[in-house]
Amino acid sequence: MSRSFSSIRESVTHESVTREPSGHEPATPTILRAVGLSKQVRSGSRTLTVIDALDLDVAPGDCLAILGRSGAGKSTLLSLLAGLDQPSGGELYLFDTALSKADEDGRARLRAGQVGFVFQNFQLLPTLTALENVMLPLELTEARDKSARAKTWLERVGLGDRLDHLPRQLSGGEQQRVAIARAFVTEPKLVFADEPTGNLDQHTGQSVAELLFSLNRDQGTTLIVVTHDTELARQCARQLTLADGALIPWENL
Amino acid sequence: MQMARLALKSLWRDLRAADVRALFLAMIIAVAATTMIGFFLDRVTQGMARQAGQLLGGDVVLVKGAPFEQADVTRLREGGFKTSEQTQMVSMASRQGAFQLSSLKTVDHDYPLYGTLTIRTAAGEVQKTGPPAVGEVWIDARLGRRLEAGLGDEFQLGQTRVRVAGFIEREPDQRVGLANLNPHILLSQATLESADLIHPGARVTYRLMGRGESGAVEAIQPWLDSLRDQSIRVMDVEHDSPRLGRTLERTQKYLSLAGLAAVLLAGVAVAMATRRYVERHLMTVALLRCFGSQRRQFTALFLYQLGWLALMASVLGAALGWLGQEALLSLLAAMLTLALPPPGIMPLALGVLTAVAMLAGFAGPTLLRLKNVSALKVLRHELDPMPVSALWVVLVASLVFGALLWLFSKDLMLSFWVLVLGFLALFGLWAVSAVLLRGLGRLSYRFHGPWRMGARQLAQRTRSSQGQMVAFSVTLAAVGFITLVRADLLDDWQNRLPADAPNQFAINIQPSERADFTNALDALTTSRSDVYPLVRGRIVAINDRPPRQVVPEEAREDGNLRRELNLTWREALPDTNDVTQGQWFAPDAGAGEGVVPISMAERLATRFDLSLGDTLTFDIGGSDVTGRITSIRKVDWESFKPNFFVIFPPNVLEGFSHSFITAFYLPSDKRDALGQVVKQFPSVSFLDIGVILNEVDRMLSQVARAILFILLFVGAAGVAVLFAALAASRPERTHEGALLRVFGAQSGYLSKAHGAEFLWLGGLSGVMAAVLVEGGTAALYAFWLDLPVRAHPLLWVGLPGVGMALVGGLGWVLGRDLRRQPPMTSLSQLEQS
Repeated sequence: MSRSFSSIRESVTHESVTREPSGHEPATPTILRAVGLSKQVRSGSRTLTVIDALDLDVAPGDCLAILGRSGAGKSTLLSLLAGLDQPSGGELYLFDTALSKADEDGRARLRAGQVGFVFQNFQLLPTLTALENVMLPLELTEARDKSARAKTWLERVGLGDRLDHLPRQLSGGEQQRVAIARAFVTEPKLVFADEPTGNLDQHTGQSVAELLFSLNRDQGTTLIVVTHDTELARQCARQLTLADGALIPWENL
Repeated sequence: MQMARLALKSLWRDLRAADVRALFLAMIIAVAATTMIGFFLDRVTQGMARQAGQLLGGDVVLVKGAPFEQADVTRLREGGFKTSEQTQMVSMASRQGAFQLSSLKTVDHDYPLYGTLTIRTAAGEVQKTGPPAVGEVWIDARLGRRLEAGLGDEFQLGQTRVRVAGFIEREPDQRVGLANLNPHILLSQATLESADLIHPGARVTYRLMGRGESGAVEAIQPWLDSLRDQSIRVMDVEHDSPRLGRTLERTQKYLSLAGLAAVLLAGVAVAMATRRYVERHLMTVALLRCFGSQRRQFTALFLYQLGWLALMASVLGAALGWLGQEALLSLLAAMLTLALPPPGIMPLALGVLTAVAMLAGFAGPTLLRLKNVSALKVLRHELDPMPVSALWVVLVASLVFGALLWLFSKDLMLSFWVLVLGFLALFGLWAVSAVLLRGLGRLSYRFHGPWRMGARQLAQRTRSSQGQMVAFSVTLAAVGFITLVRADLLDDWQNRLPADAPNQFAINIQPSERADFTNALDALTTSRSDVYPLVRGRIVAINDRPPRQVVPEEAREDGNLRRELNLTWREALPDTNDVTQGQWFAPDAGAGEGVVPISMAERLATRFDLSLGDTLTFDIGGSDVTGRITSIRKVDWESFKPNFFVIFPPNVLEGFSHSFITAFYLPSDKRDALGQVVKQFPSVSFLDIGVILNEVDRMLSQVARAILFILLFVGAAGVAVLFAALAASRPERTHEGALLRVFGAQSGYLSKAHGAEFLWLGGLSGVMAAVLVEGGTAALYAFWLDLPVRAHPLLWVGLPGVGMALVGGLGWVLGRDLRRQPPMTSLSQLEQS
């Protein structure tokens, strides 16, 4: 299923956009596109609007940083963009597929092998070795040489000698490297990183960030980083700030 | 006190957590299981002792040839016994020219001590206690027919005329004995005295029977022993109904075995729930430490919390246990015709003790981990103290379990060996599980998609999978074990009692009528034992010395040294006997002069410490006959066929006065025909053992039902283990599931992967359980239950099948909401825990 859109915006606006495709050919291909996306959460009797009619276009190979204060809803936005959570309104197109039309399984199918994730708290399975952790997403694909591929990726992130270590035998930086290898092992089109350096000290965080960006460049992967770390954000090609449920251009002070 | 209150409050909040609920539930199950089985065992075994007592007439029965002294009666009453006396003799009843030799039994107002006496009177069948009125009798319908006497008719008994006031329908204390061959007459002591039958030389036996609480017999054992020396025959439930005694003993052993299985299973559940509980509290403890709490303080807090938990579980569990046994008894009311005494308080104490022991043994070592939490964990998530080694957990749990085992079985050696074997088995299981998982990991490459994923996940989470496999296999093994032992036990009982097992003995067959009699019998039945000659003789010397000086001290008072033994002669070995030492007689063994070869039963040889080559001298009708033991036989005493301690070769005893004996099966429709045989051979006495066989049968089916119920309970405890284990491993699976969904796995895929994993888990655990059960039953049968060892091929299919169904089904149910939840929710829930 493929759709085309008339107005592809390079930047984000506060104005509402035309929802219906108007028939024009797209100026730039898009890998992810949010149109009027909103998310309300119920908190007791109050309804809280976390994401409010948000629009976003991401081009293939893009490197986008989404900044925001604590509690601004960055992680909620990331979940929505990755199709891990259901929006309350609006539409999200991932690889040109409208996610509102897909159920949980449809969204999962879309992610399989195409989307990688790097989490703030690594999310490695404690009982699996580094190699087994990296192999996990490959298990969902028909790939043949799963072990060899996982090994290659661990070597690329500098952990070739840590294949059989369990997560608790690895330092925080090493664990995040394993997580990065796991995110890239399926050679996805899109990688989401949620505060990838948030749990690491400055030095380690810096080297993990460098690894992430270099892989983004080398693989031509689209990278969306959610962070409150301006240093990290600065290394991306493009930065946006999430405030009051919408994305605004980042004013670098 | 403040700490106790704080602990209660925090426990209350904690009850929302799945692991505390699981822990609580497992403890309740453990306490409920022990108290219920305890209560039930207490009542049923007491009830069974009573029923055996009913056959005997009392818990203790004293028999002698002269009236009992008042002192004996008083002694028994002081021992806590309710007493009843009987006088028994054989006399002729006559009416209008018809005569019948009858057994007279006087009963007093306390008769019967056990069971009910049912008399058919003009008013229908009524239950009676105490004797009939003076001048009246209750008689066997058989005697009524013989004398042609109906209700209200009179007949002559000694010097008096008595009136038939009723017919005996059911007499609780049916004894096997010569006096029972004749039709019965129940009467009062006064009626017997007016008949004036008791003269010097008359064969009269006096019985003093006592009914007491359990333990009362043991308490007066020394006195009973002193009575035995005064030629008073003492019978008690434990010693004098060997078959019932053995059945009882076996049943007790079996039921406590089942009880222990339930305890063990609940213990496994407690251990698994504790693991999760501790993991969840690591952060709390780290925070407490951070806030400056001392180790002593939070240790006390947890101890109090668990103390509350144990207390609440004990109360609830004991209440459930009580209800359970009540429900069980009402369920079985129709089958359990036992009069059950109320349960004692002991099972309750046992239940509470179990709760405490369970926490200490199965939860304790894991809980110790909390002590070692570093405050730094607050800052560095991964700073968890090392999990307690499984070895340590198993060691402590085994010791506690061993203590419980001892408490239940009251058999130290058994407890020790079960523990040692149990340890070996656990190590074995642990090793086998590792091998199986490694094999599965290798094999997983041959599968595809979710099957491969499920197998790999199981194989990769080695430690936790091993733990679950050991727990599940022990669970499945416990269920398999109990089913199997139950089946084999019943099989064994039933095998030993074939449908045509002899139910009648014919004795006192004269040599002259032997051929005619056996011909007459063979017309009635196709199942008859050989006809054995019977010669009575007393042992007067062993190896030419007085027997009492030769036999071991504990055998000196043995009745077999005092009374005459039944001796026989035979050319061929009886079919229910096996020669274990020496050789059976050569064809002309009895031909020579002097010392002749004899064959001894193993039981008597062991008791008297006799071996091949020893000589025994018998006094037979005033002459001495000496035999040398040339073979020792193992005798199946439960075969209900004539069995003998001593067998001579032919051509030795023929010259002595002898009669013949045989046992046969009389179909119920041939009872009347037997009446003809009885008339034709008036001197032959018949002994109806069908009554006893029926009683044994009835008891077996009761036992079978009790066992079935407890099996259900053990099964329920097993399911609790599965729940606890699956709940404990849930966070791991949730994490994996959520990540896989983030990576793009669909719910169908996850469902299958989960399913595959649980099927593998259940199947492999089943295989391990089969290994365990096969080995365990072999050991159990050989060393404890005295059953033949056999293989059970069905087990190897059944247990893996049951494992797959149970674990697969439960896993699927428990995994449902995991698969439904959006993955981010699962991941963030994990973050919070």
